[in-house]
Amino acid sequence: MSDTLSRLQPIFRDVFDDPTLDILPGSDSSTVLGWDSLAHINLVSAIEQEFGIHFALGELEEMRNVGEMTDLIDRKCAAR
Amino acid sequence: MKDYRWEDLQVGLREQFEVGLCEEMMATFLRLSQDSNPLHHDLSFAHACGHPSPVAFGLLTSAFYSRLVGVHLPGKYALLQGIDIDFVSPAYVGDLLCVSGEVRFLSEAVRRVELKAEIRTSQGRQVSRARIRVGLHHGA
Repeated sequence: MSDTLSRLQPIFRDVFDDPTLDILPGSDSSTVLGWDSLAHINLVSAIEQEFGIHFALGELEEMRNVGEMTDLIDRKCAAR
Repeated sequence: MKDYRWEDLQVGLREQFEVGLCEEMMATFLRLSQDSNPLHHDLSFAHACGHPSPVAFGLLTSAFYSRLVGVHLPGKYALLQGIDIDFVSPAYVGDLLCVSGEVRFLSEAVRRVELKAEIRTSQGRQVSRARIRVGLHHGA
C-alpha cells in the first residue's frame, strides 16, 4: 500500500463510519457503500486538511476512484 | 442577518452573539423533544446530582449553533451539512451565553466552510464546543 493510500485509509473509515473499510485503488462510489455527494464533500475537505492541499473545482472530475485520488494528491503534494 | 457570500469568507473571520437562557426556552424544548428526564426540571433531583438548579438541555443550548450558522456565519446562504459537539459543562436558566464561531478552513473545490465554534457563559465557562461544516447555496 502506498503512503498516500495508507493516509487515505483512516479518512475513508472516518467519513463512512466503517472501521473495517479497506480501500483499494479501484474503490469507487459503486463499491463503497454510502459514497454520495455529501460524503464526497466530506472526503474532499478531509483530504485537503490531511495533506495540506487545495483542489480546484475541475480537478474533482479527475477523482472518480481512489487510485485517481492518490495520483492527484501525489501530483499536488509534489508541486508544492 | 449576515449574508456572507463565498468571496467574503476567509480563515479567521469571526462572529458572535449573546443569548439569555430562560424558563420559557426550557418549557418549549421539553414540549418539543418530550425529554422528561428530571435533571432538566426537578430541582430536588438536580440538587441530588450536585447541580444548583435544573440543567439546561444540551441540545437546547446547541440549537444556538443553528442560529450562529443560519443568521451570523455565513448567514443567509448557509446550508448546514454537519456538526460535532462536545458538551463540556452544564448551563442553567439565567445564564447569559456567548455563542461564537470562527472560520477555520475553506474548501474552494466543494465550497465547504468549516467553523470552530463554542458557547461560554458570561463568566467565561465553556458550555460546549463544536466543529461545524457548512455549504453555501448555489450562486452565493
